Amino acid sequence: MDTDVLIIGAGPAGIVAAIETASKGLNVTIIDESNLLGGQLRQQTQMLQSLPSPYQSMRGFELAQDLTNQLTQFPIRYLLEHRIIGIYANGSLGITDELNVFPIMAKKIIVATGATENAISFPKWTLPGIMTIGAAQTLVNRDFVIPGKSAVIVGSTDFAMDIIHQLIDVGINIKGIIEQQPTIQAREMKKVNELYDIGLPFYVNASIKEARGIGEVKEVDIQLQDRVFTEYVDLVLVDGGRSPILDLFYQLNCSFGFGDKLGGWVPSYNQSFQTSVNDVFIAGNATGISVHGALLITGKIAATSVCEELEVLSREEAEKQSAELWKELESREYTDVFQERIKHIESYKSPMLKNQFIS
Amino acid sequence: MDGKYETIIIGGGVVGNGIAYHLSERYKEGVLVLDKKYPLSGTSGSTQAWVWVHNKTPSWYAELNYYSAELYPYLSKKIGDVEYKRTGGLSPFFQEKDKEKALYLAESYEKIGIKIKVLSKEEVLVKEQCINPKVVGATYSSIDGNVNPFRLIDRYMRSAKKNNVEYSTYNKVTDIKKQDGQYIIVSDKKNYMCKNLILAGGTWSNELGNMLGINIPIYQLRGQILVSEPLKPFLRHTVSGLRQANNGEVLMGYSMEKKGFNRSTTLDVIQETANMAVHYVPSLRKAKIVRAFSGIRAMPEDGFPILGTVPGFENLYVAATHSGVTLSPLIGTLITELILDGETSFPIDNYSISRFN
Repeated sequence: MDTDVLIIGAGPAGIVAAIETASKGLNVTIIDESNLLGGQLRQQTQMLQSLPSPYQSMRGFELAQDLTNQLTQFPIRYLLEHRIIGIYANGSLGITDELNVFPIMAKKIIVATGATENAISFPKWTLPGIMTIGAAQTLVNRDFVIPGKSAVIVGSTDFAMDIIHQLIDVGINIKGIIEQQPTIQAREMKKVNELYDIGLPFYVNASIKEARGIGEVKEVDIQLQDRVFTEYVDLVLVDGGRSPILDLFYQLNCSFGFGDKLGGWVPSYNQSFQTSVNDVFIAGNATGISVHGALLITGKIAATSVCEELEVLSREEAEKQSAELWKELESREYTDVFQERIKHIESYKSPMLKNQFIS
Repeated sequence: MDGKYETIIIGGGVVGNGIAYHLSERYKEGVLVLDKKYPLSGTSGSTQAWVWVHNKTPSWYAELNYYSAELYPYLSKKIGDVEYKRTGGLSPFFQEKDKEKALYLAESYEKIGIKIKVLSKEEVLVKEQCINPKVVGATYSSIDGNVNPFRLIDRYMRSAKKNNVEYSTYNKVTDIKKQDGQYIIVSDKKNYMCKNLILAGGTWSNELGNMLGINIPIYQLRGQILVSEPLKPFLRHTVSGLRQANNGEVLMGYSMEKKGFNRSTTLDVIQETANMAVHYVPSLRKAKIVRAFSGIRAMPEDGFPILGTVPGFENLYVAATHSGVTLSPLIGTLITELILDGETSFPIDNYSISRFN
């Protein structure tokens, strides 16, 4: 199987990249392990602010629908419920549908594998009832399952604040938000204040000392600076932030850098969102954890670069388009994240980790 | 004794550590092991770790492996549990014409006292029920088995350290000089001086030899290994290309590729390996593969170990070989004898570096 552009991951960045490349007449294949397009957006009911034009503010699943609708205009090949399991010696990628394995040779690859949630560990953290906060959102919004009656939250990012609102809406009693740092991590203070106003206790400089229960979590000891107290809960949701999913980049022999504000290890890329491997481009949260608007823009920039390389967009047009997109990215993204992204790009030529397969 | 040692071993793989430990049993002062990365980061940490004798040819080479395998139970008693299991080794064949080769192998081993049996189809299937019923026969050797390479090297190191062996890791040797009957080792961290120098650099032996103007003809031979999900214990023997580890994972690997130091995996070889494994053990078709990794073998030009002194270089020893896991207890013993007694209890003339010119 051959394709001009292979897009890996059908989340927001992947879909935007597919629209951009397919609209220029390129032959596009998009692969995702899920059975539906949209990625994590599908269970996101929170309002997404700061989306780039032409998108208005809308909820995550609405954006997924909007993007998916745009895709239907183009003759794109979909490989849903397919995964990449390896790389052949000639550079083609090995795809499986769990029954068969077949190669795809792509002129250009855009990897948009997104991010994964980080867990926070403490004694007995593997008890049932203890999960990441994103998992709770998936249970509630996708599977229509209430994961518990009363919960404590460990961590306080914006993502957590959004989901806490949704959990309260479905009747889950939130007994407290525990943050290890001296301050709440969320940037959108409006959402934090709303939770304050309804009387939710926030504990900073705090952590879980231990969870207890037989077969499921029943209680947790919460360690404050001056004392320890016990809460009785059947749900503990941990929010350790998110990190780029790197497995495929590693297999493709891409180089890596490290950026705390980008979520940790991040594949090296340049201004064109081209990785250290010539025909491999990167988009979305894999380029560094950011706001939804930024994810869409990175997908567009990567697609613009690919269109230029495959000569369906002139160099001048591509440069002009890219420059505008970069300006928009700067305006949509939190300043410190954007600055770290720029720093990451500057280290493109001298990555921290390269040639990982050469002993 | 800043930087001065009686003996320095370059290379902290299974061979270097085997020598360090055995040397330290008799000699408790002034031994240093240098490793460019960390023990287990190279070949020794990416192997199926068979302790394997049978179907190594010619018989004098099988004999070397045999004596080393014989040392394993004793070694485990000295350094601790290394998960050594003498499972017996089974090499099935699927064509009638291979039977003759098997019989010839058995006969030539008989002469040196190594017993291997040629099993009929029925005997194979009684011994190992999961083998493909299309099997024609197999050679079987009771001395073959496997070991946990991580435990083996860890135990070697702990025991050697107890006997005062020092280690310097992430410390690459960049030059070696001879000076006033001593060797000067230039490394990333500092310069060392020693009387006895042992080159046990495995895949890097060539580079080390070049520093002294010696040709140690070792090339790199990549092997890709697949690891299954943990399965309930079903594979009783070490079978050609396959073994089941204590945790239930089945390791599969057959490939040999000349790719230098490149340790990537390719789906081509992964698929070939999976097909081979299923050919030998059809029930593996249902197993899930959880990962694949590559290891780089240190392969001497003619396939046989390069062991012993180096003509023209006093107190210089080389130990460069394939099958380092199998051979490490014996190589450790022999090099120790060579250094401390000036001779070995088992002839190693066949393995001298002087056979290359």
